[in-house]
Amino acid sequence: MTNLRITTSPDRVRALLRLLPGAIGIALVAYALLAGGYLISVVSFGLIYAIFVTGLNLFMGYTGQVSFGQNAFAAISGYASAILTATYGWEPLLATATGLAGALAVALVVGYPTLRLKGHYLAMATLAIGLIAYEVAVQWQSVTQGYMGISGVPPLGIAGFEITSERGNLLFLAAIAALGVTAAALIRHSRVGRAMAAIAGSEDAARALGIDVARYKLLAFLIAAVYAALAGSLFVHVVGFVSPEVFGLHMVNLAFTMLYVGGIGTVMGPLVGAVVIMLLPETFRAFKDYQDLAYGAALILLLIYAPRGLASLADLLRRRAGEGRRA
Amino acid sequence: MPDPAYVAQILVSGLGVGCIYGLIGIGFCVIYNASGIVNFAQGAFVMLGGMITHALVQRMGLPLLPAAVGAILLVAALGIVVERVVVRPLWVRNATMFAMILATLAAQIVIERATLILFGDQPKTLPAFTDLPPLRIAGVAISFQFLWIVGASAAIILGLAAFFARTRTGKAMRACAINREAAALQGIPVGTMLALSFALSAALGAVAGILITPTQYTAFNVGLPFAISGFIAAIVGGFGRPFGAFLGGLALGVAQAVAVFALDAGFKNIAALSVLLVFLFLRPQGILGAAK
Repeated sequence: MTNLRITTSPDRVRALLRLLPGAIGIALVAYALLAGGYLISVVSFGLIYAIFVTGLNLFMGYTGQVSFGQNAFAAISGYASAILTATYGWEPLLATATGLAGALAVALVVGYPTLRLKGHYLAMATLAIGLIAYEVAVQWQSVTQGYMGISGVPPLGIAGFEITSERGNLLFLAAIAALGVTAAALIRHSRVGRAMAAIAGSEDAARALGIDVARYKLLAFLIAAVYAALAGSLFVHVVGFVSPEVFGLHMVNLAFTMLYVGGIGTVMGPLVGAVVIMLLPETFRAFKDYQDLAYGAALILLLIYAPRGLASLADLLRRRAGEGRRA
Repeated sequence: MPDPAYVAQILVSGLGVGCIYGLIGIGFCVIYNASGIVNFAQGAFVMLGGMITHALVQRMGLPLLPAAVGAILLVAALGIVVERVVVRPLWVRNATMFAMILATLAAQIVIERATLILFGDQPKTLPAFTDLPPLRIAGVAISFQFLWIVGASAAIILGLAAFFARTRTGKAMRACAINREAAALQGIPVGTMLALSFALSAALGAVAGILITPTQYTAFNVGLPFAISGFIAAIVGGFGRPFGAFLGGLALGVAQAVAVFALDAGFKNIAALSVLLVFLFLRPQGILGAAK
């Protein structure tokens, strides 16, 4: 979780390796654009989840904290998008912005007391927050329509111009995901990112260095909440439908499996993990009921046998390339 | 001013649920003391207690008591499976605390989903253990299920107290709680104690699940809220103190009953979880203070 090697003198192998996931991502988006059909929606979902998991990675991989409740922020923004557009006829963009602001406000109010907790307590408190959001979505029927969910949510667009084609959606999502990953990379190598890394290493040491630990933790939490909220709203507008199950424990399970497949703490890991996990089940579509079972089991196996995911594969290649320097 | 009988009624229902939280909280403590691990799959044991009993009664036609005993044994066995398959491999690899939390949470999800596939998503319930109308004492209705819950909880606590104080195995588990390395040097098989603590904890969860099911219902997804409640009960009691956890459960149950009575029944879980969060924010060190 705290693997934070920052390369100062990137040689050619490392540079190529770092570009590889991005190149594969671009190739995949291009292929989906050409091939069309079902692959487009698969890659689209992969990109939406990549945004969610990138936020999660910022809070957990970079800052070394724990949150099982990020789905709450996706739910707040997703439901705000759905309700404001489908029920009140707002512009999708305005609804999404409102959803993001709402999620951010809740994250601020909830984050302040929650982040004073550590370890098991923090894990359990965030788990409870996610569960509360789910329960509210189920029970507040007059607004959320309970288990039925809200359908007929319009696609994203501005002033009458809507992204109606699947290909347009895919390109738009690819652009947002690229922005999200780039922003995460920039954050990581900024002053804020270094403060986060210091907190992940040791809170006491970070405090001794003059880092305001509580403030940076809250900042990381808020950034992660924005990513989650954005993913939630995008999902709702792309699918046109929302129900509590979208943002339930399934989302937590899926996101963590993606994070661990891609490699926690790495910049590209979330994107790689999200797309890989989205593509995999397409081969087992007949076993939809077994998906969560399979993800959960896969997550346990990863945690035991490959806690650094595909990123450890890159390590292996680096070592082969003669880079024996170990951190 | 609310009717005193009504207030007493709320207290009774709070204490009933509180006993359940207490039992689950003890389950958390038993594993934590043996290993320093907080088992996030604890809720799965509670859920399975009710579900397996229901399946044994409905599908195999067993009477309630043998079905309950069978369910408790099966769930205890599953506790050992979770320990062997999920916890032990991480334990020997010195995995981080977070990896352990996530792995046990994943185990919870796997068990939940497997239950969904095997038993379907329909809520199920069990008949009351004693099918008699509730007792009326000074205007307060006390159901026989409440008496079962309180009686069984008291019996379990006395049994556990005797187990930890008198038996060799119980003393060995307490030694592990005080200092695992020293216990290992004394020749106590620490690994076996870990497996045993999972079996005991799973059995406690199953008992809690069986006791509470007749008063509400059970379904594949009821486990997690119970686990969170039990965890907070353990915190309120000062983590690692089994009997503190039970008192914590009672306090929590009453606090929730009061919070819920002010709200619509549909929002019960939300109110309950919010009370938990407030407890967590205000007194993370517990009311009785932490054990260590």
